[in-house]
Amino acid sequence: MSTPYPLALQVNGAEHRLEAALGDTLLTVLRDALALTGAKRGCNQGVCGACTVLADGEPVRACLTLAHECAGREIVTIEGAAGRAQALQEAFVETGAVQCGFCSPGMILTAAAMLERTPRPSADEVRAGLSGNLCRCSGYRKIVDAVLRAAETGAP
Amino acid sequence: MSALARLHRPATVEEAVRLLAGGDGERTRLLAGGATLVAMLNAGLVDPAELVSLAAVDELRGIGTLPDGGLRIGAMTRHRETAADVRLAGTLAVLREAAARIANPVVRNMGTIGGSISFADPAADYPPALVAADAAVEIAGPQGRRRVPAREFFVDWYATALGPNEMVTAILLAPRAPGLGSYDKLYRVAGDYAIVSVALSVAWRDGACARAGLAVGGCGPRPLHLDEADELLRAGRLGAQAARRAGELLAAAADPLDDVRASAAYRRRVIPRMVERALAAARDELSRTA
Repeated sequence: MSTPYPLALQVNGAEHRLEAALGDTLLTVLRDALALTGAKRGCNQGVCGACTVLADGEPVRACLTLAHECAGREIVTIEGAAGRAQALQEAFVETGAVQCGFCSPGMILTAAAMLERTPRPSADEVRAGLSGNLCRCSGYRKIVDAVLRAAETGAP
Repeated sequence: MSALARLHRPATVEEAVRLLAGGDGERTRLLAGGATLVAMLNAGLVDPAELVSLAAVDELRGIGTLPDGGLRIGAMTRHRETAADVRLAGTLAVLREAAARIANPVVRNMGTIGGSISFADPAADYPPALVAADAAVEIAGPQGRRRVPAREFFVDWYATALGPNEMVTAILLAPRAPGLGSYDKLYRVAGDYAIVSVALSVAWRDGACARAGLAVGGCGPRPLHLDEADELLRAGRLGAQAARRAGELLAAAADPLDDVRASAAYRRRVIPRMVERALAAARDELSRTA
């Protein structure tokens, strides 16, 4: 029933030719076919935000996106972090915003897209921007600090 | 494992309708932004054999101005775009405010207005907003296009006026009038569905309400709307007495359930307070600016 179909995906600047069932989500393909395990499977319902990746620069839930709907789109995962996302990674480390780390890839990519649109956010804007990303260590304060710090240092 | 065997990607509405009609009833579904349907696929709540993706149908994208000055919001317009469109002002601001309160920024970047209203969760944000704004829903089917007022589109729990092989193509809005639109919801955590929501659209002329649309979400099978409550507000200044009476009428007509978010009794108590609060805020705002 789950016949695989050929699929060409642009991920982190490289083209990958693979096969995926029509019902496979982008998250499944990233993790299982491409071994890019930075995007995490938390709720698989679009609620927790741990699977967030960028599609054409905009944040999407990889768990709510069918892989075959991504042909022709440029996907960026945390493994391909560059520019703002990389500055955010460094700020997360420096600020101690990484606890168990499960939410960090989604937090960082969501924040990267937010800073693209709002380069100098207030703390409240950061909280609102990250409101769809859950941290079960509840380390939100340092996460907000890290995003503000990355905004201050600016994008490379 | 999903039994999904076909993923169609039509370029036109007519082709999408043909694919729906050629499919196997409930086993053939439209895929819009995926925010609900793919979550249901993941949870094993639906098991379609065919999906008709609307991602490549240009006609369904974006918000356009109609010849009469009204607006047409394509079914595939994302919540993020609706929440940011400054043409949704005055009486139409209710829609913009509702869009901005859906879920969170990432889901607003995926979810679409057509997908949301076709699913017709009565605790969702768009249904009461569309009813308050007296929007119309444009529908395409094998017989062509038709329009249904939003007030008749939502018919029951997760049920709409869509017939077999029909799809939502757009939301149609009459030109905005001076006045105000507002949307407020009571929720457990930001981004959740509403416990109770109140959508309000008020046209204001010569220091008084020329037309009002008031709808309550989360309190029954469909958005709660009473012509009688709207009528109470018309021609007045949204005074405290009319606001109280409108809230009482809506609470009495509500048919809420006990669910994980709140009890039915709690919802009935909250409705008049939320209605009064929305009307008091509107009264203040309009007396200050209009």
